[in-house]
Amino acid sequence: MNPAKAYAHLFSPLGGEGADNYRSPSHISFLRQPFVSLEGDDLANSDAPYVFIGVPFNEGSVGRSGSEEAPLAFRVGSLDYFSFWFEFMVDLHKTVVDAGDLPLPRADPKAARERIYNAVRKVLAAGKIPIICGGDRSISISATKALSDHLGDDKKMGYMHLGAHLEMADNWAGETHLSTNAMARITELGNLDMANCAHIGARNSSNLKDHVDLAKHRGLRFYPMHEVLDRGVDHVIDEAVARVWGGTDAQYLSLNLNILDSSAAPGVTATETGGLESRELMQIAKKISDCGHISVIDVTELCPMTDVSESTCRTAVAVVLRIMAGIQKVHGKTLNESLRRPGWKF
Amino acid sequence: MTSSSKNTWTLAPHQHQGPHKEVREDAHIHSPEKHNSNFKAEGILTFMGAPYCPPDRHRIREMGAKICFLGAPWDQGTIVRTGTSSGPHGIREASSQYFSYLFEFDVDLLTFFNVVDCGDIPIVPGNNELSQQYMCDYVTECLEGGAKVILVGGDHSVPIPGARGLSQYMSRNKPDASMGYLHVDCHLDAAVDWAGIEITNASGPTETLKMPNVSSKNMAHMGSRNGLNPKDWMDFWVDNDMPIVPMSEVIERGIETCGRKILDRAWNGTEAVYLSWDTDSMDCSIMPGTSCPESYGLNARESIAFARLVGEYGVDVFELAELAPIFDVSDISAKLACNLIYQYLGSRAATLRSRNEEP
Repeated sequence: MNPAKAYAHLFSPLGGEGADNYRSPSHISFLRQPFVSLEGDDLANSDAPYVFIGVPFNEGSVGRSGSEEAPLAFRVGSLDYFSFWFEFMVDLHKTVVDAGDLPLPRADPKAARERIYNAVRKVLAAGKIPIICGGDRSISISATKALSDHLGDDKKMGYMHLGAHLEMADNWAGETHLSTNAMARITELGNLDMANCAHIGARNSSNLKDHVDLAKHRGLRFYPMHEVLDRGVDHVIDEAVARVWGGTDAQYLSLNLNILDSSAAPGVTATETGGLESRELMQIAKKISDCGHISVIDVTELCPMTDVSESTCRTAVAVVLRIMAGIQKVHGKTLNESLRRPGWKF
Repeated sequence: MTSSSKNTWTLAPHQHQGPHKEVREDAHIHSPEKHNSNFKAEGILTFMGAPYCPPDRHRIREMGAKICFLGAPWDQGTIVRTGTSSGPHGIREASSQYFSYLFEFDVDLLTFFNVVDCGDIPIVPGNNELSQQYMCDYVTECLEGGAKVILVGGDHSVPIPGARGLSQYMSRNKPDASMGYLHVDCHLDAAVDWAGIEITNASGPTETLKMPNVSSKNMAHMGSRNGLNPKDWMDFWVDNDMPIVPMSEVIERGIETCGRKILDRAWNGTEAVYLSWDTDSMDCSIMPGTSCPESYGLNARESIAFARLVGEYGVDVFELAELAPIFDVSDISAKLACNLIYQYLGSRAATLRSRNEEP
């Protein structure tokens, strides 16, 4: 947009030689925002509260592959949105920077997990909120550990997971850090009290008996889909939010897109029927953003190669932006409504 | 088969022309006796299997057509993905999977309205003004022929020439009357210009408000949501004191209440209404086959309920835009879009019948 007009990006482009096509920027970054390096002073010098990190990692998956393509598709999906959200009168321009995709080794998942962990630690150390785009669900293990260690033993962490699977395998064929081990590892973290943990959306038969047994043994409060349907999304999310945000110092939101019904999200690795409609997920996003703060957001298991019409990618982007916009609004960071496009006549 | 002796409208599917033709007059509303009839057999593909009528006011009058289907295979006005130029074909193809008889309203749409397919509006590649002029002229021609119009896009710049066609028709025939305009869409689409250009799919409502017989008090928007709505689009509706009914309100108050709110406004003191309905007003789970799929939209039940509600009120031009079959899955988007037109017509027929009125 025309840099001479500080608010030009809020409006339809004015045209002329400098007019840009918003869908074809010179580089593809999350919401057309600038790239930063995780090395050096870039992060410290940035005013943006959020840092987008792509984690193209698929080697923790026990099911269908394809989520390593997600960060790129997520960025492309974000090009179809503007930074201005009229429902909130909020502008997300300059609230987020893009740290690019993490350089991850192939066929060395242990080294990859370490890099994910280190990257999230760096972002948290800079006082920023990471928006982590997986990748398979196993990346949450490293990222949650990073938040836990960042907080230290004296602080309390809250954890909310949205997804169809409990992921409570203590080990899976001897492996302990796969997607299916995610909740098993996360619920072991010292500063995560089970009173501050909530899992929403479990359903169908990828949830083996030992997963359920371990969840019960550890006291994980999981709200299966049938409970969500019986009691209504509003009741369940209110209760879950109270657990995760109540008396905690930091909150981790982990969004596995298979929380959505397979009709609403065909582009995920493990599609599941009987899930949420997009409007219900947006209602959850609203309740979360109403809390006014969040420490980490991760989005996992987006699978562009099985997506239809880019709809899942765009839905994923819309949920994240909606949470960001909602939080901005809670903090009163709304625009002056009287701002008008240069030359406005009405 | 002829619906009435007063006109020359004849239903003549090609399957009814050859040596094994079905002979019963009303064969098309019953299970076939000899073969699969025109069900799923395209032959000469028309919307609803309706007879072709040249888009000529005299021919339309001669045939006694009350509904003209017009396709606008056009996506030169889009600021997003292309692909909507195949929308009219997608609808016609989807319609070959339906019968014209709607049991819910006990009506045969074909013979009730003497539906005709006037083909696709010719487009001039590279000449956007001329293409839109053709769209305007073809819509006008159908209206002058005494028919209401089903206009299928095409990208959502179609209402610019489409509403102009209705506006010019009104100016000539009812110079003192005004018309309403409804925009049902995920996007507010109210750019005064997009990088200096006034005829893109971001400017339907803004261009319509310039028309002499359109007043802001008869315009409204429904279905808006998400982040592809620059601030000036919102300012246009707010500054002109026109209601935006966002998705959050539709979910909270229900489609019936919200639908009536905008339809009442459009019909308040007017003698014609243009409905511009973008397929992306619908949720991407039911409408992946659109150029700009969006979550948090109308579900299929709400969409059908709204189509029926529109049938209760009636509109002069029922426009459905942005269907992009290339992105569709298993024809679900095209069949839904087709079904919305059928449900609208069925409800319209039932409404007219209950008032003892002719279409």
